Amino acid sequence: MMAKPARSPTAETSPPAAAEKHRSASGSGSGLRSLASAASGWWDRWGVMGSGLSKLERAFGDQFPEGERYFGLENFGNTCYCNSVLQALYYCTPFREQLLEYYGKNRNVEDAEENLLTCLADLFSQISASKKKTGVIAPKRFIQMVRKLNEYFRGYMHQDAHEFLNFLLNEIVDILEKESSAKDSPETTSPEKVSNGAADNGVRKEAPITWVHKNFQGTLTNETRCLMCETITAKDEPFFDLSVDIEQNSSLTSCLKNFFSTETLNADDKFFCDKCCSLQEAEKRMKIKEVPQILVIHLKRFKYIEQLNRHKKLSYRVVYPLELKLSNNSDDADCEYSLFAVVVHLGSGPNQGHYVAKIKSHDHWLSFDDDNVEMIPESTLQTFYGSSREYSGNTDHGYILFYERISGKHGHEKTVSPDGGVQP
Amino acid sequence: MHRVGSAGNTSGSTRPRKEKRFTYVLNDADDKKHCAGINCLAYLKGSALSTNDYIFSGSRDGTLKRWELNNGDASFSATFESHVDWVNDAIIVGEKLVSCSSDTTLKVWNCFSDGACTRTLRQHSDYVICLAAAEKNSNIVASGGLGGEVFIWDLDAALAPVAKSADTKEDEVPNGNSGPTLTTLCNVNSSGNIASSNGQSHGYSPITAKGHKDSVYALAMNDAGTLLVSGGTEKVVRVWDPRTGSKNMKLRGHTDNIRALLLDSSGRYCLSGSSDSMIRLWDLGQQRCVHSYAVHTDSVWALASTPSFGHVYSGGRDQSVYLTDLSTRESVLLCTNEYPILQLSLQDDSIWVATTDSSVYGWPAEGHTPQKVFQKGGSFLAGNLSFSRARASLEGSAPVPVYKEPSFIIPGVPAIIQHEIMNNRRHVLTKDTAGSVKLWEITRGAVIEDFGKVSFEDKKKELFEMVSIPAWFTMDARLGCLSVHLDTPQCFSAEIYAVDLNVAGAQEDLKINLAQETLRGLLVHWCKRKQKLSSHSLPNGDSSTGKDGPSKDSPRSRSEVDDGTENHATHVLPSFEFSTASPPSIITEGTSGGPWRKRITDLDGTEGDLPWWCVDCVTHNRYPKENTKCGFYLHPAEGSPAPNITQGKLSAPRILRIHKVANYVVEKLILDKPLDGGSDGAFAMGLSSGQSQLSALDNSSRHGLKPWQKLKPCVEILCNNQVLSPEMSLATVKTYIWKKQDDLILHYRVVQSR
Repeated sequence: MMAKPARSPTAETSPPAAAEKHRSASGSGSGLRSLASAASGWWDRWGVMGSGLSKLERAFGDQFPEGERYFGLENFGNTCYCNSVLQALYYCTPFREQLLEYYGKNRNVEDAEENLLTCLADLFSQISASKKKTGVIAPKRFIQMVRKLNEYFRGYMHQDAHEFLNFLLNEIVDILEKESSAKDSPETTSPEKVSNGAADNGVRKEAPITWVHKNFQGTLTNETRCLMCETITAKDEPFFDLSVDIEQNSSLTSCLKNFFSTETLNADDKFFCDKCCSLQEAEKRMKIKEVPQILVIHLKRFKYIEQLNRHKKLSYRVVYPLELKLSNNSDDADCEYSLFAVVVHLGSGPNQGHYVAKIKSHDHWLSFDDDNVEMIPESTLQTFYGSSREYSGNTDHGYILFYERISGKHGHEKTVSPDGGVQP
Repeated sequence: MHRVGSAGNTSGSTRPRKEKRFTYVLNDADDKKHCAGINCLAYLKGSALSTNDYIFSGSRDGTLKRWELNNGDASFSATFESHVDWVNDAIIVGEKLVSCSSDTTLKVWNCFSDGACTRTLRQHSDYVICLAAAEKNSNIVASGGLGGEVFIWDLDAALAPVAKSADTKEDEVPNGNSGPTLTTLCNVNSSGNIASSNGQSHGYSPITAKGHKDSVYALAMNDAGTLLVSGGTEKVVRVWDPRTGSKNMKLRGHTDNIRALLLDSSGRYCLSGSSDSMIRLWDLGQQRCVHSYAVHTDSVWALASTPSFGHVYSGGRDQSVYLTDLSTRESVLLCTNEYPILQLSLQDDSIWVATTDSSVYGWPAEGHTPQKVFQKGGSFLAGNLSFSRARASLEGSAPVPVYKEPSFIIPGVPAIIQHEIMNNRRHVLTKDTAGSVKLWEITRGAVIEDFGKVSFEDKKKELFEMVSIPAWFTMDARLGCLSVHLDTPQCFSAEIYAVDLNVAGAQEDLKINLAQETLRGLLVHWCKRKQKLSSHSLPNGDSSTGKDGPSKDSPRSRSEVDDGTENHATHVLPSFEFSTASPPSIITEGTSGGPWRKRITDLDGTEGDLPWWCVDCVTHNRYPKENTKCGFYLHPAEGSPAPNITQGKLSAPRILRIHKVANYVVEKLILDKPLDGGSDGAFAMGLSSGQSQLSALDNSSRHGLKPWQKLKPCVEILCNNQVLSPEMSLATVKTYIWKKQDDLILHYRVVQSR
């Protein structure tokens, strides 16, 4: 359960006991209203909604970015996984702009059925069109829709921000594709789904390119070389994010290097080579074929431990850079990425804890903790790398990293990577 | 995004099985041709025993063959068949032939035997890829394989205990291997009988060269047997002392898998060929690489040197054989082949080339005077940077081969590379390396149609038949020919009407179990010989019969055999008669040790370790009656005035044809309003049990319809509002029309016609 721990930016501790009670009682929709009211008492206490300038506005002083809005998102009980991802997406400017553009085009369409995309667009436009520069918004309709669509997010089991991001992006893609195929030619059947092999980020193949694809989709080439006949079988796999295994005291760069390293299929796990018509040893590796505009990296901090028969949180220290270079195999050029959001998981285990988002907007780093938004120094990001020792008090760890591409069409000669990996 | 698990590892060969699997391997050609790529060659020079030279070839088809070389001609002389997977390497040690295979074993054969395996050496746990022997010490053999396993065998020690007991067959019985088999190891004694024993039971175990991290793809040993080199995916050449298995050194330089190694007779120099396309010459004394030769444009897979180690012949993935002068670095393209080169064997003035093709090629090589080849021109200086040759060839300076035509070809038959099981589950469409598309009838192992070089996919579509038969077998083509796997009980799930196989005099409703008849066809020679053996009442004949089955079955099965089931067991329907000219081989697991393989015509009735379920099936006519029935409902069609004639669910064989269902409906309709009394009464009863319904259904046409045939109303059977063809079976209707897992619902209606 993603129960919100009693941590607030102020020293004041206010365990949401009331919310806790409702949570355990309610299945889904019915408890929401009372939850909302329980939470509303909260913000008043925090003074976020008070008259005059908010704390955040005061922090910005006269540097408050023109036209920008900073709104907290109310927690409906365990919805921090959702809030943190929504905030990261909101400040993913190309995504937000394209969503609002879509909203502008489609909001007047008659008989428009409410779906996850319209709910999200509504929410984003509510924030961006708000008269107030800061405040709190309750993403009630959106959450209701999520819970309606996906059983997984309805219950009160562990909810994973990465799973949610995947679900959200794929759901939006579904809706967009349905709309475009309905518009273009009613006869074309919907494109076939990518097999479950890529279910983790089940992206479509051969599907019409939507603006979600344009922002998030990259392509990996999965190369397998039979060690007997040395024939290479290559398969392209689109992705919305990279889920990388992590190691203690490592860097994102080295984790990515491992991700792109060669793996041998042998012993009981041999490769069936079509050329040899038999099982043979093979070498398998991933290469990046096309880099995405927005590179989302999921650090696999929740590891299934067979002996324990459950997931365990890895608190490993994984250093992630503010600027990341990723080499693009197709043209041997590096792409530079800049970190703009980190979804941080707080807590010692996979089944409890809290999610917050640390987001860069107009060169300022901000912390979004449900309904609370505050400015933080860039150096704070280092505190979410993880801990070098297993049982450390620090349980706040970077979990999903959002990088935006800042260059790389015609790469930087100095950092050509020989192995298709990544350079620090 | 996560990394996807291993792809394609679905061939099912590693899945746990409850009962032993029975496999048969079909042969298109006679015994005299390989039907898959040649992995290895071994040359035996004429000696006191035989003045002729011989060449041995080991193939991906699982067999080795001996060819007699005579005045520029190579003639077939024997097949060595016992491995159950690819033969990966073979060497000659004195008069013994040693082979290794992906079946994880080494096998020892007598070079001049008729092909019986002398001994199986089991120690490896994964594919055995390569072998090496010491020229001057005919006892020492090293084997290397996947998983980094390297063993050094003392052949005398490994074979000695068996040699002692080989002539005294009785000795074998007490140690628990009473059924003489080929299972573990075999020894041909003077009378030609085969005796066996378990290799490990003698307590011999080879020396282990410990410490290889990754798989071994190449080995070489010096003449004295004092130095062993190994190479593989670790990309380093390791040097060992084979007498102790201890490590000497590691040589780094290659950047990819090492696929070929040679040592000079003294053991000072080592040549290595790698997938990084380079050949390297190492000075083991100095422990360094003294030369690297960029000759090939792709992986180097095979090396052969002149006796003086002055020149090297090399072949590989680029299908080319080059000759390189190791000191001047001068190189020349000797010949190009149509397939990647797997091994080379240099003998005097010929070089024998093994490729992924099933033929063996001999090319002129001037092995004694290689400088003669250079005089023919076209030579170039080998670079020392990887891919410098690849670049050169891209730039259009590809050399012209010195020789255009091979001087010898030992032809093989093209290997099957693609196969598709047809819907009738008796026919299999295949495509071979030559592009020929053929249709096989796997129940008798014969090609029934050769379509020539046509599109496999088009032919597959063209041959599509809307029939549904359970998948009673699985198959693969890793041996270049079709291997059909039978597993109990699912193999007994398919039936066919005898009349559909044109069985003479068969009753219309006689059903044949495909697996049972196929097993009978395969084991007919075994059955006949076993009967002969038991009628002679051999003292130990008993041990070969019920050995594998549950022991309590033995007395009963005995009596059943005596009851005259012999005829049944040895009577084979024409559709299940396997060729004796190119007989299939069977592969199955023995009671002790690993799997064995034998031609069906070579089964002599003493093989006691056939799976008990196969024995039960062919000799006692007992097999698990898999559910061959199909449940269905039969209702009048909507709007049809026909009355309801059935209550509840019916059950019938899956292969029951719709016209039988129609007949049944007709009879019921007529009998319900009694027009005629000609029936045998079974129909008149309001049958409620599915079991009796089924017999009624199945027998319906047998009971003379004649009296009312002219009067009978015409009935149509429908499913999902579609009128069914009378030839369709219930299973076909269920698969293609009903398309659901739940019980089939059929409707009938009377049509006004005639």
